[in-house]
Parts: sequence; structure tokens; C-alpha cells
Amino acid sequence: MSGAPVTHTASLGSPGRSSFAALYRLLLRLQVTPLRLVGIAALGSLAILLGLLARGDEDALRATTEVALGYGLGIVLPLATVWLATSSVGDLIEDRLLVYLWLKPVPRWQLPAAAVLATVTVVVPLVAVPLVATALVAGTTELIGALVLASVLAVVAYAGLFVAAGLWLRRALWWSLLYILVWENGLARAVEGAARLSIASYAQSLVADAADVEIAYADRLPVASVVVPLAVGLAGFALATIRYRRAEID
Amino acid sequence: MTSATDGAPLVEVHGVSKWFGSLVAVSDVSFDVGPGVTALLGPNGAGKSTMLRMLCGLARPSKGTVRILGHDPRTHVGVTRQVGLVPQQETVFEPLTALEFTRLSAVLHHLPDPDGAARAALATVELDPSDERRLPTYSKGMRQRVKLAQAIVHDPRLIVLDEPLTGLDPRQRAHMIELFHRLGGEGRCVVVASHVLEEVERFGSDVLVMAKGRLAASGDFREIRALMDDRPRRIRVRASAPRELAGDLLHAGVVVGARVDGQDGLVLDTDDAPGLARAIAPLARARGVSVLEVRPVDEDLEDVFRYLVER
Repeated sequence: MSGAPVTHTASLGSPGRSSFAALYRLLLRLQVTPLRLVGIAALGSLAILLGLLARGDEDALRATTEVALGYGLGIVLPLATVWLATSSVGDLIEDRLLVYLWLKPVPRWQLPAAAVLATVTVVVPLVAVPLVATALVAGTTELIGALVLASVLAVVAYAGLFVAAGLWLRRALWWSLLYILVWENGLARAVEGAARLSIASYAQSLVADAADVEIAYADRLPVASVVVPLAVGLAGFALATIRYRRAEID
Repeated sequence: MTSATDGAPLVEVHGVSKWFGSLVAVSDVSFDVGPGVTALLGPNGAGKSTMLRMLCGLARPSKGTVRILGHDPRTHVGVTRQVGLVPQQETVFEPLTALEFTRLSAVLHHLPDPDGAARAALATVELDPSDERRLPTYSKGMRQRVKLAQAIVHDPRLIVLDEPLTGLDPRQRAHMIELFHRLGGEGRCVVVASHVLEEVERFGSDVLVMAKGRLAASGDFREIRALMDDRPRRIRVRASAPRELAGDLLHAGVVVGARVDGQDGLVLDTDDAPGLARAIAPLARARGVSVLEVRPVDEDLEDVFRYLVER
């Protein structure tokens, strides 16, 4: 192409890092839409309202913990994560845009990794900030550290899982919502065996431990509460990478 | 078809088939492509896009092999450095400007100066790099040109374009075709898919014709065009005395078959359409027959391709 001063030589810096950063920035821009931000923020602000109600409870710590676990980590966090994570790569497939990314000399793991990281970047502040605010308005500041840690770990796990779902499944959003409603908020809250396979139970255990409050099916070992969500996130990322590597691009 | 300057074709396709369940999209296609512009011609649904997807490594052949510069584009990620694709779909990344979209391609190709390369590529397709409007506000033709800019930003040796002239006005079409020729003339392999015969005529001399998933013809466009023009034609004629006219035309040797259809209808089969066109008026005049209508029965492109496949 005359007039285009380009060569086939890779840049001397770190091309892998620059391509990863470019994918990450792109996915962030695609994920962050006003509708999503307002929707997730509205869900999160409800937690603050519930925190205000918990403040008047005789056992404010227990009431706040239950709000944070049941509503915050049980509903808002997975819903927000599923909304963003399934769409991050899933929308690219649906809109037939993946072709612009696949046909590049970029390691295949970078797109799923960027999708997971972009999801974590958006969801964690949108969920953790209202949860911290909930603890603050309820006067239970001792929960703040555990809430932040639990939020980060749960988002990592769900993000890995749902980014993979976006690549493996058609209508990934609906399947993932079904999983959250039926498994995480249904069976895992009623059956001990199912709870062991629930991401929420590990995140909830961290907060329950910090509050020293007994919550049904939220009694995992602290080490497991950290390791299991990370492992799930990693497994989801690995599955997403395998799928992306083998995918036929439209 | 053609050879690269070093003797080896840039693209080698051998016995490639692609099926989706029971649907055969591409069937046992083989060809080589070298530098210059090569047109991939065929009607909609002929398997062109599927073939191009396999050519770029986006899809895996069910059977056969595709090689770009001797490598499998499906497994050899490095080959993508040498490939630029303008896909058929109109969708683009909506939040991005033309410069951002093209620069993204440059960054993902690890170019040392992505911004400079993106600006140069946009200038090549006559777009303003400083235009800050987002891509959805662009016209169809402008989006086509942005797609081309992102495909050539890294100076690839193989440029694949799927229906690239869709939505362009005549001046833009002329500019694009000139650009394809320039890129091909510089030693790049430019493969352009189109279903418009007149469009392909302007692309250049090398053509691959696909129909019903098969490679119907390949080679010099003029030869294939002549083959298309020389194919048997079916002509419907309305005349005041069709039976008499049919006899005269058969006797003159310009038709190989004739069938009277209704009171004034005549269906003629001919291997020599230009000869028939020249002969019909004098013969009718000599016999005092009024010719009310002459029209080809099978003039659509689908039939032309079908003929090439079945011949």
C-alpha cells in the first residue's frame, strides 16, 4: 500500500502487552453502556436502603450480614456479572465482530482474559461500593474488608464462568440466569451437597466468618473460600480459551 | 491459476469441502492464487463466503487443505500477519471512530507506529483520520472503506474482500477498483468475491467462478465471459406465423431446436445467439411475418452459473 508507512516488524516494546491492553480497553468500552451502569447501580443502591433498615434491627450485625449475603452477594453480584460477562465476547459473536479480533497475530488466551478482567473492573466497584456503603450505614464497619474480598473473589469466579458460557452456549445470558436462580439461589440454599458447588456459598462464608455469624450453608474453610472461587475463575477462563481457539468465526 | 514471483503460489487450496450437517457449502474445490487481483464470482449462496472464511483460517475445511505461504492459516497464528480481510457483514465496533478502529487493527498486528499506519491506511481509502464521528454515523460506503483500511493497515500480502463494493457510489467503486489493481500490481494477492458479473469484469483478468459450492470455472475472465456468452440460449419469440418462422430459422441453421407455444408463441434453442439476432428480422420480413416480441428466457446470472457447473 503506497503511502502507508508500515512494516511487518513487531514493535520493540512488549507487543503481547499492548495487544492485551487494546483488547481490554475495547471490551471495557463495549461493556460499559449507560443502561448497564444505571441498572447495576440501581440494584446496588437497593442494598444501601436495606442496610438502613438493618440499622434499626436489634442485632444489626446479623441483619446487615444477611442483607449483604442474601441480596448483595446472592443476587446483585451474580446478576451484574452475568449481564456483563456473557455479553463481553457473546455480543461480539452475535454481532459477527469477532472476525476483526480473531484474524490477528494475538495469542488466543488474550481475548478471554481481557473479557474476564474487563468484567471484574466494571462489576467490582459497582457491587462492592454499595456493599461497603451498606455496612457503613448499618454501622457494621468490621464487615467491610470481608465484603470487598468476597466481592472480588465471587466476581472473578462468575466472570470466568460466564465469559466461558458466552463462548460455549447460545443464549448464554438466559442459561446463566437460570443457573443463578435455580442453582445458586435455589438448590445451593437448600441442600448441603449443592452448596459445596455454589460460588456464592464460598463468598458468603468469608463474610459470615468476619461477622462471626452462623449462616446456613456458608461455613466453608477460609482457605477454601479464597482458593475455590479463584480456581473456578481460572477454569472458566481456560474453557473460554479452548473454545475461542477452536471456534469457527462467522 | 497464477504464481508468485518466487514460483510458489501465495494461496493453495486443494480438494477443499465444507459441510454443515447435511448441507454441503463447498464441494471439492482446488485452486492456487498468486499476486494480482483474482475475482471470486458466483451467485448468492454459491459458497463464496464460506470459501473465503476457510481461506483466511476462520473456518476449518471438512476435507482438503488450505495453505497460505505454505502454512495452515487455521493453526499458524503468524500467518494472520500476512492476511487482511474485509468481511461481508456491515457491523463494526459501534463506540469507535474510524481512526480508533483502524488503529486497533494496527495495535493487534503489533505495528511500531499504529497511529501513523492507521492514518495512512485511512488516507489511502480517502477517509479523514481526524473525523471524530463514531462509526454508526457513517454511510454504508464509508463503513466499507473503514473496513478496507483496517484490512490493509499492516500491509498484508494477501487481501481478501467479500463483496467490498456493496453500498459504494460509482466514483467510490472506481476508486476502490483502482486501489485493488494498485495493491495487486504491487505484488499482493488480492482476492475479491462478488456476485455481480459487471463488477468482476472490471477487477481484472483472473477469475474463479463458484456455483452450488463447486468451482465451475477458473482462468482468464475474457475466456470465461466468452464461454458464458457462447452458451446455448433459450429465446421466446412472439410472431404472427410462428410455425413458418421456426422452419426458416431451422433451415438457416441459427437455432438447434424450436417449439411452437400457443397461437403466436415460439420457444427457440440456439448455440448462436448473435447469429439468431442477425437472422430473425430478415427472415421474418422475407416471409411477411410480424415479429411481436423477442426475449431471452434464461438470462439471469443464476442460469449462467448453472450452465457453467453442468457443462
